[in-house]
Parts: sequence; structure tokens; C-alpha cells
Amino acid sequence: MNVMITGASGGLGRVLATECAMRGYNLFLTDINRAGLLSLKQGLERQYKVCIAAKACDLTKSESVDELVSFIDLHGIRFDMLINVAGIDFEGGFLGQEREKITKIVALNNEAALRITHDILLRRRPGRQFVLIFVSSLASMYPMPLKATYAASKRFLLDFALALRQELKNQNATVLTLCPGGLVTTKEAMRGISAQGFWGNATTNSLEIVARKTINHALKGKSIYIPGLLNRTLSLLGKILPRSLIAALIYLRWSKAQVKWLR
Amino acid sequence: MKAVVITGASSGIGFEIARLLSKNYLVIGIGRSKTNCKNAKDAILNENPDAKIVYFIADLIQQNEVNRVADEIIAYLESSNNSKLYALVNNAGCVRSWYTTSEEGYEQQFSLNHLAGFLLTYRLLPLIIKAEGRIIMTGSQSHKGIKMHWDDVMLRKKYNPLTAYKQSKLCNILFARGLNDRLGNTGVKAYVVDPGLVKTDIGNKQTGGIVNLIWSIRKKHGVSPKVPAKTYEFLIEKHPAPPGLYYCLCKEKAYSRQVTSENADRLFVLSRKLCGI
Repeated sequence: MNVMITGASGGLGRVLATECAMRGYNLFLTDINRAGLLSLKQGLERQYKVCIAAKACDLTKSESVDELVSFIDLHGIRFDMLINVAGIDFEGGFLGQEREKITKIVALNNEAALRITHDILLRRRPGRQFVLIFVSSLASMYPMPLKATYAASKRFLLDFALALRQELKNQNATVLTLCPGGLVTTKEAMRGISAQGFWGNATTNSLEIVARKTINHALKGKSIYIPGLLNRTLSLLGKILPRSLIAALIYLRWSKAQVKWLR
Repeated sequence: MKAVVITGASSGIGFEIARLLSKNYLVIGIGRSKTNCKNAKDAILNENPDAKIVYFIADLIQQNEVNRVADEIIAYLESSNNSKLYALVNNAGCVRSWYTTSEEGYEQQFSLNHLAGFLLTYRLLPLIIKAEGRIIMTGSQSHKGIKMHWDDVMLRKKYNPLTAYKQSKLCNILFARGLNDRLGNTGVKAYVVDPGLVKTDIGNKQTGGIVNLIWSIRKKHGVSPKVPAKTYEFLIEKHPAPPGLYYCLCKEKAYSRQVTSENADRLFVLSRKLCGI
């Protein structure tokens, strides 16, 4: 199995890459962080007997992705799985953030995901099943004040993935959307979880378990994976309650948590 | 003047060892935070303006940082101390509530509590051999009652913060045993210090939930970091070198039956592989 992982040198990307290497999958890793990518490649090669290629790429730039794709074509690499992990968020309300930071969220979480997905789907290994995974978020289930752009960008991914799944249904390809609550991927994520107190801890899932189950669910052809019973229940509330009420409730909770977080 | 390298030297036990040893040694401290290192250095110099203390900044969870700081220390000792290092104290450690990884994809407690010390020791060993020096690891009583999870040392299948911590502390003592097995005729000696329950923030840094809560309660019953610092001083200054492996309150202490040459050899092979040595 040949797997491409974007955002591979971030916290979730590293654990998903490790999970795939443990299963004996060959890996093509990409991330904007060249040094982190090389460290991960070294770390995995020391542990697992799998082929690992790594190339840095800024997925928000078409020319950088073109270069990546040329490299892939030059080496005749074809894929059986794409895991779209690359994503970003900046804390703070809409007007409290710089304009460029807000548009960067959409540029990476959405535009870049479309760009690389399009190119890699055209480079799938012929005659084999293709597995496509998008990393969305529990935030995709609700309109989220103070995380408005991020939540909306993750909603875009969820809806896009569900629709694309239908388009690819008869082409031996399956699409899974991962919608996790909190994941301890960075020091900042850890601080954010602590700032939310009980709810932060209660909605946080173990990275290694989420990584394992994500691959399992994707291979089984599932469409959505929301880790944790509490998170699944919260996602149901998002479907039952009026969206304006949910937005008001979330604003109440996040306005307190974010002050603590950004302190 | 004899030189000593101490990791995790900007707070807790490492800071107290640095403070104590800076009276008679050139102390090279390593810390992750520039601000904390500056504050630690200022505090030591305020107390003793003649103290010889210098800090290097490195996040030892990442192996490229270990290699970078090792290069810097080697260059520093070459210019100031005839490339001799009398003691290395591998003290830096962490607790993580959740499974998190280093840039290499290694579980962070295993990476910092064991691999960082392993790699730094490997890099500085020629300088320590030159000085017939000592290598000391900060261990813990918690290394008892656990076996190495050889089939899954990073606990990827079932992560548990306490298991990861206990195993990393068992690694410390296996590493010291392995070093003594290999360096017997060089004059170098390796030890592990059990600091006992100490009032530090190790369980409150980058942790959350139950781990944070338990440690906040537990540390209230701990002793000052000044207490275990004396054991490090004892192991560094005592001549001839104390014969044991595991010390607490300057006295030799019994350690786990898991500490065998066979396990130490197995850990050496694995650690070399994971450090790319």
C-alpha cells in the first residue's frame, strides 16, 4: 500500500505516519516543515522496514504543489491512500485576527486540500482500491463563534468529502472524514484543552487510538469517524438543536475558555 | 576547574544541583526555556557572584536539538576546559498525560527521559573518558514493579502515562548498568539517583486532567529539591568512586530485579538504533 500524508510532521500527521508504517505501508510524506519531515523520516526508517519518501511542499501555493507532483511523476509513484492532515487554526475572534491569518485558514484547510486531492486522485494506482481520508473536526458539526472561520472550513471539508464519496462510489474509491474533538498534537493544543477544564479533557481523545481507528474505519469504507462516545453525542445535539441556539451556547463557553487560553 | 553538564538545569532538582556544584565546578546547564535559564543563572550568580555557570538552550525531546547542543558543548569545552568533562547529569525529564511524540515520532517520555540522555552521553563520552568522569541519571523508585515492554516500548498500542514514566525510569537504570558493563576499564562510572518524592513541577508541565491533579496533591508531601541534590554532589565528589549503581540520600539502595546485563544490552541495541548510532 502506498500512502501519501500531508501535514505529516505535525502531531497528528506523525502518529498517522507511524500507524501506517507499523502496518507495513510505504509512505510519501509532505509538509511545509522540511526539518520536521526529515526527522520523522529518519525516526520511522530506524523502526520500520518500509519505503519512505519525503518532500517539503507549501500546499497553499500551486507552483509548490506542481513541483511536488512533478517529483512524484518523475519517480513513477502511484498511490492507494491519501490522508489530508495539513490544516491550521489561529485563536481569537474574527475581528481580533489579522486578515491574512483568517484567509490562510481557508487557503490551507480547503483550497490546499482540494488541490492535492485532485492531483493525487489522478495518480492512484490502477486496478486497486483507493482510500481517501480528510481530517475535519468536531467543530464541523456546529457554527462556532470565536472559531468561526476554522469551524466553517472544517464544515466545508465534511460536506465536500460526503459528496465526493458519492462521486467516487463506482470507481473503487472510498472517502472517510475524521471529526475528532480535542487531540493533544501540540503544546498549544494541550494548553487549549486545559483552558477548557472538564469539557476540554472529556472531549479529548488519545492520538494513538484515533490514528489506529481512523485507518481501520477508512479500510472498512466508513464515511465519518467521530472518536469518543461523548463527542458522538455532542455531534447529535448539533443535529437536533437549532443552529442559532448552538452558536449562542458555544459563544458562552468559548468566550470564557479563550480568555483563559490566550492569557 | 572540573566541568559538569546538567540537563533540566533551570528548575527543580537540576537547578539545585547546578546551584550546589557551581561553588566548585564549572557548571554547564541545559534548559528548554531561554527565560528560565536566564532567571536560573541570575539566581545562582546573585547568591554567589564567583559561581562558574553557563546555560545552553535546547529542547532535548528532539534529537537534532540534542546533537546541536552536544556540538556547542564540545566546542565550548575545547576552548575552555581542555576537552574534559568530569560529570554529566542526565536529569531532564517529563510526564505526559497523553501519547505525544517527538519530531522523530518517538513517544515523548521515552524520548526525553531515556533517549535524550543516551544520545547526549554518546556524544560527550570521549570528553568524559578523558576526565575519567561520572555519568548520573535521575531515576525513581517507580522503576520497580515494571518490566520493559519490548514489543511496544513506546506504548503505541495501549498508552498509560504512569506505565510510560515507570518504564522510562527503568531505562535510566538499565542504561547506567549497560554503561558500567562497557566502560569498566576506562575509569568512568555511571549511577542512578533516586531523588525520592520531591516538590517539583514535573507532573504539572504539559499535563492535564487527572495527572495534573494527582501530582498537585502529591508534590505537597515532597521534600525540597535541595535534599536529593546532595546525593548527586556525593556521587561526583566521592573518592574513590562509590561502588554501587543506585543511590538515595547518599546511600546505596536495592533496585529492581529487571536490571540485568541482558536487559541492559537489549536496551543499548534498541537505543543505538533509535538514535541512529
